[in-house]
Amino acid sequence: MRSIALIAAALVALAGCMEIEQTATPSRQGKYQGKPDSTPWSNQPLAAGPQWKQGDRASWEEQIKKRQLGQHEHRRIYQ
Amino acid sequence: MARMKFLVDAERCIECNGCVTACKNENEVPWGVNRRKVVTINDGVVGAEKSLSVACMHCSDAPCMAVCPVDCFYRTDDGVVLHDKDLCIGCGYCFYACPFGAPQFPQAGAFGLRGKMDKCTFCAGGPEADRSDAEFKKYGRNRLAEGKLPACAEMCSTKALLGGDGDVIADIYRERVARRGVKGAEAWGWGTAYGPPPKGAAPAAAPAGGKS
Amino acid sequence: MRTLSRMTGWLVLALAFALPAGAQQQPAADPDPIKTQQRRAIEQPGNNAPVWRNVQSGQPNYASIPGREAGVLIQPQARFPGQDAIATAGEAWRKFRNGPVTVYGGWLIVVVCAIIAGIYFVQGPIKVHEQPTGRLLPRFSVAERWAHWVMGISFCVLGATGLIMLFGKHVLLPVFGYTLFAWLSSLAKNLHNFVAPLFVVSLVVFILMYLKDNLPEKGDGAWLATSWRMFTGGKQPASGRFNGGEKVWYWVGVVAMCLVVSASGLVLLFPNFEQLRTTMQQMHIIHVVSAVLVTGFALAHIYMGTIGVEGAYGNMRDGVTDEAWAKEHHANWYQDVKSGKEAAKSGAAPQTQH
Ligand code: SF4
Ligand code: SF4
Repeated sequence: MRSIALIAAALVALAGCMEIEQTATPSRQGKYQGKPDSTPWSNQPLAAGPQWKQGDRASWEEQIKKRQLGQHEHRRIYQ
Repeated sequence: MARMKFLVDAERCIECNGCVTACKNENEVPWGVNRRKVVTINDGVVGAEKSLSVACMHCSDAPCMAVCPVDCFYRTDDGVVLHDKDLCIGCGYCFYACPFGAPQFPQAGAFGLRGKMDKCTFCAGGPEADRSDAEFKKYGRNRLAEGKLPACAEMCSTKALLGGDGDVIADIYRERVARRGVKGAEAWGWGTAYGPPPKGAAPAAAPAGGKS
Repeated sequence: MRTLSRMTGWLVLALAFALPAGAQQQPAADPDPIKTQQRRAIEQPGNNAPVWRNVQSGQPNYASIPGREAGVLIQPQARFPGQDAIATAGEAWRKFRNGPVTVYGGWLIVVVCAIIAGIYFVQGPIKVHEQPTGRLLPRFSVAERWAHWVMGISFCVLGATGLIMLFGKHVLLPVFGYTLFAWLSSLAKNLHNFVAPLFVVSLVVFILMYLKDNLPEKGDGAWLATSWRMFTGGKQPASGRFNGGEKVWYWVGVVAMCLVVSASGLVLLFPNFEQLRTTMQQMHIIHVVSAVLVTGFALAHIYMGTIGVEGAYGNMRDGVTDEAWAKEHHANWYQDVKSGKEAAKSGAAPQTQH
């Protein structure tokens, strides 16, 4: 009886281990979630277009945030 | 850390399908595939018609990712859900699982055999080298790598469709709703969700001001 | 740590199963949501609850782009067996497929293999008690053998490729890496799709061909009750051309399960008949569950037909069997053949080969 209960418990516990973890972890050596891809900020900005410092995530995020706020016409127009 | 999201304002969308067109043009998506679509509820009924534009929502716990038998999805540091077309086998499981019908397939032969899955990339390309021809052919433009936001949201004429970091666009929307002059409780429908306010509580303020 | 917390989560979930379902309350259905919405636009502008309820219900609305279910914003809700909460159909399907189907299905296959290995290594194969006589009886006609092998081989291809698609991510992917595994899966998917029609046709032919001799007979129950003795070296009860075990396999495994697998598979194989996602999710679950069960069953059959029973494989390969084997395993059939009754039934003259 005990062993059946143990097996059942093990099965229930194993059920929790099936899905592959999906948390957004910070890049591992330039790899996204185990698949190789480069980050947007690792590119040279285009000559005509938004500018940031190549490889500097903070500066890329800063400029993309500006761009996001460009969608906010109350701020864009009334300020 | 940014988490990229789309937000669509049902009060503003005028069903012009500009976002759909912008997406098709910007990404040159395969025939038969629409990465974005606009759905109209109560179509043609005066006073009740609402339109919503929808594409991949880049879920935090993405069902598509969980069911893919070859595990071809990945999530970028900005929370964008991307996939690798070289790995995709066209089984269609992501299409069964996605709540929004985002993954779509070009037809690739007899039996309705599916080709490689195609879906919205948040204009972030795929695993090929950023801004390369190969990336463009498979996944479309990589606008994030150009420092830009998705084409659909950026060109939306009424700014019904917002794209960007969830926190930022939620703030934009919140301010917008506040300016509409609709008090929070009515705008969000708490009364509907939790029942009418208790007797004796202050009556809800009458709507003031026009639409934003 | 993470695994631990997730395990706790599952335990909580297991407890939740025990709680009575239906804790969620559905708001009373609005008889005319359009009217309500119109009224809302005046009384409570900005509160579009009727519209959002429509969106959540999964009913189709208008979309100018073509496509099946293009007008559905969010899939309708569904709940699969054993799930305590209703969820978007795709999410419910994902939980069911990635949860019970993968976990218990995987264990079923492992356990069946372990039992077979246990029997083989502990008890050894079932031997014929008497020496082979060298006199051969015809057992399977050429047509019967073709029907069996076309079906059997296509079944094995479908089974192997199906297992790759269901469990490969957990078993093969860590070993092979993404590129090789994706190539293998792509091959598997295409083989699965193109071998499937062959299997369905051969299945129908097989069922019709083997129907007559698989009709239930008087001795079947007795055979099933006492046949376990053969695993411990004992003798088995007499049976006709097919014994009780083979008949169970025929009716439950081949007829019932394989027809269910084929029918549900065809729905998935031809997605061009306007079937909706909900249908495909349900068919997929039926397909996978019955396929895993029948694969477990088939493993037992394959074992008994090859290394598990001495001489069994040769019968189906060459179509003839030794008299000693026939007497041992199918005594009644042996009598019939010897007395010419079987020949009268099948119309073929009993011939003895040397
Ligand atoms: S494809 Fe669907 S399930 Fe996957 S992230 Fe996008 S919206 Fe979510
Ligand atoms: S169609 Fe492609 S991306 Fe979608 S689940 Fe199948 S292999 Fe994965």
